[in-house]
Amino acid sequence: MSAPPAFRQQLLAAIPRLRRYARSLVFDGHAADDLVQSVLERALAHWRQFDPRRDIVLWLLSIAHNAHLDGLRRDRRLDVLPPERISEAMDAAQPPGTDIGLRLDLLAALERLPHDQRSALLLVLVEQLSYAEAAEVLQVPAGTVMSRVSRARVVMRAWLDGSAPASSPARSAARPDLRRVV
Amino acid sequence: MSRPDDFSDTDLSAWLDGELDADAGHRIEAWLHEHPEVAARTRLWAADRDALRARLDPVLDEPVPLVLQHTAQRVAPPTRWAQAAVAAGLLVAGGLIGAAATWQWQGQQVLAAQTAAQAGTPAGWVQRAALAHSVYVPEPRHAVEVKAQEEHLARWLTRRIDIPVKLFDLRDEGFELVGGRLLPDAAGKSAQLMYESTDAGAPKQRVTVYLRKPDANAPTAFRYQQQGELGLFYWVEAGAGYALVGALPKERLLALAQAIYKQQPAPMPASAAAR
Repeated sequence: MSAPPAFRQQLLAAIPRLRRYARSLVFDGHAADDLVQSVLERALAHWRQFDPRRDIVLWLLSIAHNAHLDGLRRDRRLDVLPPERISEAMDAAQPPGTDIGLRLDLLAALERLPHDQRSALLLVLVEQLSYAEAAEVLQVPAGTVMSRVSRARVVMRAWLDGSAPASSPARSAARPDLRRVV
Repeated sequence: MSRPDDFSDTDLSAWLDGELDADAGHRIEAWLHEHPEVAARTRLWAADRDALRARLDPVLDEPVPLVLQHTAQRVAPPTRWAQAAVAAGLLVAGGLIGAAATWQWQGQQVLAAQTAAQAGTPAGWVQRAALAHSVYVPEPRHAVEVKAQEEHLARWLTRRIDIPVKLFDLRDEGFELVGGRLLPDAAGKSAQLMYESTDAGAPKQRVTVYLRKPDANAPTAFRYQQQGELGLFYWVEAGAGYALVGALPKERLLALAQAIYKQQPAPMPASAAAR
């Protein structure tokens, strides 16, 4: 039996949020929609596993997370846009009249974050999930979400300030001087 | 390193995300007051958060690509086993009745519906009415293009779809007009009016009325169709095609359809109704 119409309608309603999350994970619009497409297919194939008392968006975001990780494992390049194409991709998605300079930096910094920090940061800041909800999506403890979000913020801000080398995200994240409270 | 009474970046970050209780929040606010440099840094974090949202939120308002809409609405692709069964069935049935086209599995039914939609048959526009219903009814913020309160709604839609559009009053049936929108139709344009239930004690229900200029020789009979949980009443009358769509019990939907039928406007005098 295929998924019932009520489930399909919920799915349909969740597409805009899925697209936003996918866009923030893979940047390129087409690759992002491919990710959404595979999330929808997985959701339809496994609709019986969805508990209707739960928030369908959380369920779909966790499918997106897993689908994205699978994609990364299959093809590391999926996640990384070649530097010469970043500005092209940004321009394509940029609504007119916005501050391109600032946002370019911001997204470039976001893209440089280690994947686990980036997804935690996006789920909390952009998708506005609580730490507990993000933990459910990422299948890690809430404390891990808390430290990943904090680390991602600190590192990203340091890159935006130009106060940390962009080349070694993992090491800069661990640098004690960046975590110290003045 | 930090003093014991200092707050770590993790604390500040959690505070910014609203994860701390009010008590801890007040202590951090008081502490930040005495540490303006740290406060400035948390403000930058907040600015980064706002910039990220500003950069990514516009995706929410982009039109959803059709291929994704279709994926969400289409029946699941048959499993390999089902495909094999169909193939085997076709081999046997093909010899007996020689008509692969009569073999229907779910995917083909949808295909047939899509083909009908392209062909502009009554089934086609009714299908489009159902699709438009499923697309816009779940929208919390952008369910309609023009709100019910705006006076020009009826005038605007009448001018655009070339048939008299009346804003049906369904309040006696417990539904209030939300608003309307213009939609693409096979040969031109159509309109959708959305109504929402007013019963405060029950979950909100939405129904839509799809209006279009009918094709020549379109059958005028009053018909009912059930598509999953959606019910559809559709008819052609006085130069206008109507489809009422909603996930309601048939009797309730019928009552609404009758209310609309009684209120429907007189045909347009000029060429509009003749074609």
